[in-house]
Amino acid sequence: MKTSLLALGLALAAGSAAADTTLRVHYAIPTIWADTQAALAEAFMAAHPDVTIELDGPAEGYAEGVQRLLRESVAGTAPDVAWVGLNLWRVLEARDLAQPLDAFLPEDPEAQGYTGALLSLGRFENTQYALGTSASTLVAYVNPDLVERAGGSMENFPTDYDGIIELAAKIDALDATIEGVWVSPHDWRFQSFLGAHGGRPMTENESDITFDSDAGVAAATVYSRFASEAGMSTMGQNDARQAFPAGTLGIMFESSSLMTRFAEGAGERFDMTVTPMPIVAADEEVYLPTGGSGIVMLTDDAEKQQAAWDYISFVTSPEAQKIIVETTGYAPTNALVVEDASYLGDFYAQNPNARVAHAQVAQYAGPWYAYPGAEGVAVTDVIAADLLGVVEGADPREAVENLAETTRSMLGFN
Amino acid sequence: MRPRESLTSLVLTAPATLALVIFVFLPVAVVFLLAFTNYQIGAPGLGWVGLDNFEQLFGSRLGRNALLNTLTYVAIVIPASVGLGLLVALGLHALARSMPRLSDVLKAVYFLPVAATLVAMAVSWQMLLHPSLGLINTWSSALGLPAPLWLSDRGLVLYTLSAIGIWQSVGYNMVLFLAGLAAIPPALYDAAEVDGATGGWSRFWLVTWPMLGPTTLFVLVVTAASAFRVFETVATLTKGGPAFASDTIVYALYREGFVYFKAGYASAITVVFFLALLLLTALQVWVIERKVHYR
Repeated sequence: MKTSLLALGLALAAGSAAADTTLRVHYAIPTIWADTQAALAEAFMAAHPDVTIELDGPAEGYAEGVQRLLRESVAGTAPDVAWVGLNLWRVLEARDLAQPLDAFLPEDPEAQGYTGALLSLGRFENTQYALGTSASTLVAYVNPDLVERAGGSMENFPTDYDGIIELAAKIDALDATIEGVWVSPHDWRFQSFLGAHGGRPMTENESDITFDSDAGVAAATVYSRFASEAGMSTMGQNDARQAFPAGTLGIMFESSSLMTRFAEGAGERFDMTVTPMPIVAADEEVYLPTGGSGIVMLTDDAEKQQAAWDYISFVTSPEAQKIIVETTGYAPTNALVVEDASYLGDFYAQNPNARVAHAQVAQYAGPWYAYPGAEGVAVTDVIAADLLGVVEGADPREAVENLAETTRSMLGFN
Repeated sequence: MRPRESLTSLVLTAPATLALVIFVFLPVAVVFLLAFTNYQIGAPGLGWVGLDNFEQLFGSRLGRNALLNTLTYVAIVIPASVGLGLLVALGLHALARSMPRLSDVLKAVYFLPVAATLVAMAVSWQMLLHPSLGLINTWSSALGLPAPLWLSDRGLVLYTLSAIGIWQSVGYNMVLFLAGLAAIPPALYDAAEVDGATGGWSRFWLVTWPMLGPTTLFVLVVTAASAFRVFETVATLTKGGPAFASDTIVYALYREGFVYFKAGYASAITVVFFLALLLLTALQVWVIERKVHYR
């Protein structure tokens, strides 16, 4: 009796080990992702009963998430698959933790909805390390009530920087507590203005800084003019993110991922409207750095890799992308889900703001340049500090040229 | 008997000692070693760089800025927090005789910031100090006063954080001073009165203040140690910004190590910070101790 029970137990254990693979999945920002991740894991396990998805306790933000992945990899307890910020997967690649995905990619990626622009988000030196899972670009959030009080209208909302600055100055003049326009002095926002003017932060092979071009000066001038002509204050990001939904800020350039949060915050107070980034350069020169998340494979166990790829290809498929778009407000990273109205047609009919943001991603998505090497992250803080100097009145050309020199010496480019 | 006793003592202290060595002394030793390398968290290898990290801390604009900010913060918080703590304690101690209930309520009020979680309190501060929506600026605009950017003006932010630091530590110092006041024998005041010290000031200067010496020393050490370690308010309210204007040494340590992943440099900051605090404590204890004890 005892032996047969033991045998049965052993057989069960052996059987389950052979048939079942357990994948540990890491993700960050539970305030946005918790429900979505649970829904994705459930949908995946329903389609692949032999694979169990085990979600690690989420990290608070992408930066904390990468720190944890690095610590876990040192300790040998890293998860098999990780959702990471699109600007941070290079940290994992630089430490040989992210596994190349090229062997798993379908022969014709375009047919599966992986367009070249979308693949570029996770590609470095012709190797695919990450696939985008959700995307966001810089958009303008507008408070139509303030626009109207300042004598403008949403029908002729300006589509260039001159018009926006003029309108913002009028909004700013309305009242002591009302501000016209705000954008964070921050690397990603700066890269967005730079890309809209047709510039790039670095050369293709990442051997030199190129934002001290005319496009870079023009991008810094946007900050300078927002401050000098439209009265933009130096208030912090948290303050601005409270001011806009409260109705005391007219125009705010922010990540499209905040759309749901701002719409909820504004509630009935005003009809929050999203307008696209004003584009200055010719379309083929423009790129908008894309934020959001990508997914990387960390496991180097061949058997687990296949299951991991099944999961990765599932979460980047149109079905899963539909779930992500509907629950997070991010733009999708699979072209099929945008092109085929059967997936999100109803959603876009109800969310015209989302259509604006997603169309911008589909048209201009480009990589969020991460500066290479040990000082890569430190450089972004220096950029932010110098942009604040521009907002406070420094000459844009001088500031950008000095910044480029500082950046070059920090990154060891000269 | 004696070797047997020593053996027992050894066995009894061994587990705690072992834990201390493994979890405190070994990691500290590792940090001291890492301080001389360019190790990055998660990197496969590391290189010996000698004193480069220390040179960067004391030589670079950012490193010196963090050191200077910390010193400014400490220079404001220590005297203000110790002075206010003493004033409040004296007031409440005197009040306890005439209105004991009110005195107890006020004690609780002053102690609340100490008991509350600083991170949660920081969020409340952020709402109070919001440039256009916050209570403080709403009131000051209503009174016709300027409405400054408390946390995002680089000339102001360090003072705002200092004020929050003082608010947070006054209650703790008050409790320590109250204990010190309660321990002063009443006979000393009687004796002083007999000798002609009848005024409030002379009673304070000749009896209270000297008798509070040991308490004051302890309060100074504790306040200095916590002021040098300022981190939570910086991390939650300003992230060292705007443009590094509120970057302090412990925040820089966190930023370099856990945001930039430069473990070697962060270890060097830790070493300097550790030695500075050690020196400060030793100085305060050795030098001032001689002057404050009467027994």
